Amino acid sequence: MNLAIQIVIGGLLQGAVFAVIALGFSLVFRVTGVLNLSQGAFCVVGALVMYTIEVSWGWPTPVAAVAASLATAAFGLALGALCFVPAVPRLPTSSMLILTAGLLTLLQGVLLIGWSSQPYALPPFSGEAPVVLWGVRVPTQGFWIAGITVAVVVAMWFVVQRTTLGTALRACAENRVAARLMGIDVPRMTLLSFGMAVLIAAISGIAVAPITSLEFDTGGFFTNFGFIAVAIGGLGSFLGSVAGGLFLGVAEQLAAGYVSSLFANALALALLLMVLLWRPNGLFGGGAVRRTDVRDEQRIYHAIVRVQGRGGLVFAAAAVALVLVLPLLFPSAGILSSLVITGILYISVLGLDVLMGYAGQVSLGQAGFMAIGGYTASILAVTYGVSPLWGTVAGIVLSVAAAWVLSFVTLRLRGHYLALATLAFGLLIDSLTVGMVDTTGGPSGLAGIPAFSVGSIVFASPIAMYYLVVGIIIVLVLALYGAMRSGFGRALIAVRTDQTAAVALGVNVVRYKLAAFLISAALGSLSGSLYAFYFHFLAPEMVATPRSFEMIAMLVAGGEGTLVGSALGVALLTLLPTVFQPFALYKTLAEGLLLVLCFMWLPEGIFGFATVQLARWLRRGAPPATAAEKAMP
Amino acid sequence: MSDAALAIKGLSKSFGGVRAITDVSLAVPEGSLTAVIGPNGAGKTTLFNLVTNLYAADSGAIDFQGRSIRGLSPGAIARLGLIRTFQSARIFPGMTARENALAGAHMHLGVATWKHMLWLNSARREERSLAAKADRLLELVGLAVFRDVAATDLPMGAQKMLEVVRALMAEPRLLLLDEPAAGLNDAETAELAALLRAVRDSGITLIVVEHNMSLVMGVADQVVVLDAGSIVAAGTPRAIQQDKRVIAAYVGSEA
Ligand SMILES: Nc1ncnc2c1ncn2[C@@H]1O[C@H](COP(=O)(O)OP(=O)(O)OP(=O)(O)O)[C@@H](O)[C@H]1O
Ligand SMILES: [Mg+2]
Repeated sequence: MNLAIQIVIGGLLQGAVFAVIALGFSLVFRVTGVLNLSQGAFCVVGALVMYTIEVSWGWPTPVAAVAASLATAAFGLALGALCFVPAVPRLPTSSMLILTAGLLTLLQGVLLIGWSSQPYALPPFSGEAPVVLWGVRVPTQGFWIAGITVAVVVAMWFVVQRTTLGTALRACAENRVAARLMGIDVPRMTLLSFGMAVLIAAISGIAVAPITSLEFDTGGFFTNFGFIAVAIGGLGSFLGSVAGGLFLGVAEQLAAGYVSSLFANALALALLLMVLLWRPNGLFGGGAVRRTDVRDEQRIYHAIVRVQGRGGLVFAAAAVALVLVLPLLFPSAGILSSLVITGILYISVLGLDVLMGYAGQVSLGQAGFMAIGGYTASILAVTYGVSPLWGTVAGIVLSVAAAWVLSFVTLRLRGHYLALATLAFGLLIDSLTVGMVDTTGGPSGLAGIPAFSVGSIVFASPIAMYYLVVGIIIVLVLALYGAMRSGFGRALIAVRTDQTAAVALGVNVVRYKLAAFLISAALGSLSGSLYAFYFHFLAPEMVATPRSFEMIAMLVAGGEGTLVGSALGVALLTLLPTVFQPFALYKTLAEGLLLVLCFMWLPEGIFGFATVQLARWLRRGAPPATAAEKAMP
Repeated sequence: MSDAALAIKGLSKSFGGVRAITDVSLAVPEGSLTAVIGPNGAGKTTLFNLVTNLYAADSGAIDFQGRSIRGLSPGAIARLGLIRTFQSARIFPGMTARENALAGAHMHLGVATWKHMLWLNSARREERSLAAKADRLLELVGLAVFRDVAATDLPMGAQKMLEVVRALMAEPRLLLLDEPAAGLNDAETAELAALLRAVRDSGITLIVVEHNMSLVMGVADQVVVLDAGSIVAAGTPRAIQQDKRVIAAYVGSEA
């Protein structure tokens, strides 16, 4: 009995953080219709700033806490004013989601540079000795957490429901256009909601830091669980967020205490998928007050990037030639290895491009398919002696099957709900790869994976692997290019840009979304298998959720909807850390920054930008194609 | 009436308290061109939305070529050959004008995607013949110069024309056009009138929502006047022109 109470108390304390993060999600979501994935990182920023002020500089705890909260809030406001507020009216919801994922990565990058990659814990506010109540030991920090959480929730409630400021915030939540007409400064309210969410995240991060160990990337964990909490409770509902957070914390701890922590994670994610499937508005209360239709209907378009005709052929021939001689130009082993990795990741990103760039379906779970492909092929090879080729095929079959099952959830969802269902899927796979120690080797990974082989041909050396991967890529790009310039590709773009018009022309939207999803799963899986066979080793973090975000950054930076463009993004983020060693530390920051910057200023990506400029430049020499513009005023 | 391409009986729809369509009955003979006119907010677009089931009707019957289509999904309705355009030209961004036209042919693609993936000759041949057809239509409506231009970079009038071309590529049996002349200048409107006649003469039944009276009077076989969700008059263009209620409705609510 005591144990149960102990666990429930632990769960409530854990849940308190989830609740506050969920509250932040709901606040920003209500005002802007955007789910701000960077939310969780601000907990860690707050806590680590607090660590520096309190422990390194020796300031007294209360002063340090206030200073750290305010500093984090100021930092958050600056970031919000620069990257979030200007983007909200410009980008569709799905892009905003990725932008905030970029902010999350960026914050983790900043933390990595500032505080390096070690775990931190703050000293408890009032000593180490726990209080014993009726035989149950409660850490004193628990009272602080409970008190601070209650204070935060009450303060939020007061501000939103009882002040004129709150009225303005709620007006934005109801209807942005009407709010603007009423003279409310919508951008300021957006910034304010963002800042308030950052402030409460920082406060709760500081509160839990003494009983939780925090690292630069713990923010991802907070974001994930805060999000699960808010999805369970109902996006946009304040009461639901708090209830969802506490519920999730207790359920997690109970499952972990009585079964296993693997089960706890899987339970949380399965719960989330079920909620998304059956009650997308959450278990508690009505949930979303916002109508999502308005922003979803906003047209999504990026510049048309086509390299056609003779120019296209020349370009393709040059690209293939370059790729074939690349290893000869750079004989260094390090660079060759990076080139192989670039190729392998590019296969997965190609799949993502079909799904995101063409069909417009955001997926935050692409690495999950890499994991399925990687682990299936490796386990079959290591444990059962299945040949790598058949193992790879088995992985693809399994991934496609998993994608098909997942599609029962995702095909009903749009915008952020879709993205979040794929995120949940990715996290579920993460927890399985870590937790199923007997099969996957758990966190320490799976070693002794053989080299890839087809029959008696073994691709043991990096150079052999390089040409194998290049061969696969050429075949894939040709096949996908063929598909994309046919009715298939047009149907995908139609689905992305205007579903209503697509349906009115007889396009079976569900079928095309599903096809794109299955293609992305298959390519992710293939890439994962090759990855494992190349390294002869596979560990969970090689194919975990941060990888999904990284691949999105690569795709967006290179250029969505172009098939080949993303190769530039992959190469950039894979080769730079190799060529320029100190860059490794800045890689996370660079990924986040690249994602944010591209979304704000270079929506066509590097490749898209280059081709558009090139086309413009070529046209300047040629007889004016602008005659067309003159012909019709 | 068995020779009606589209027969609507007792159709009604209200949004909250607003009765957008009230007890509308209408028969559109096969191979005819019916114009639907009426002041702003009369319910013309809503009528199209009900026929294509973008909105579910509250009551009434909708028969297309003798079979009930009420309750069929918008996609299924399109696959029967009932194609529409939208008042606010919903061409696909991210595609060129020609690709937009080709997208219209979606239901008539015969070659499987895997053949395109293998770059088989049969696949290329189909693409080429579709492209040739699209080019002919673009040429016909004077959009040939825009062929490889991003559709969203086209002027508004051209976008509306492109949407008509895209709908024609779908080889409809019944074509619903929502204000195709909006944004066109006089010369372009005359071209549109010629195009509409040609389309009708090729055997495609048309229903056209239009504000431009001279266009309507010049091409329509039958004119239906909608006001505040109800049909106030129907008949030949000439009869409608002399109808006092119509003049009242127009002068009264549009000035
Ligand atoms: N989705 C909707 N929700 C609520 N009301 C609607 C909706 N669609 C149409 N209405 C209402 O139904 C009525 C008819 O609108 P409709 O768009 O059909 O008019 P219309 O004849 O096409 O006008 P216009 O000439 O301006 O295009 C209007 O009062 C309009 O406000
Ligand atoms: Mg209308």
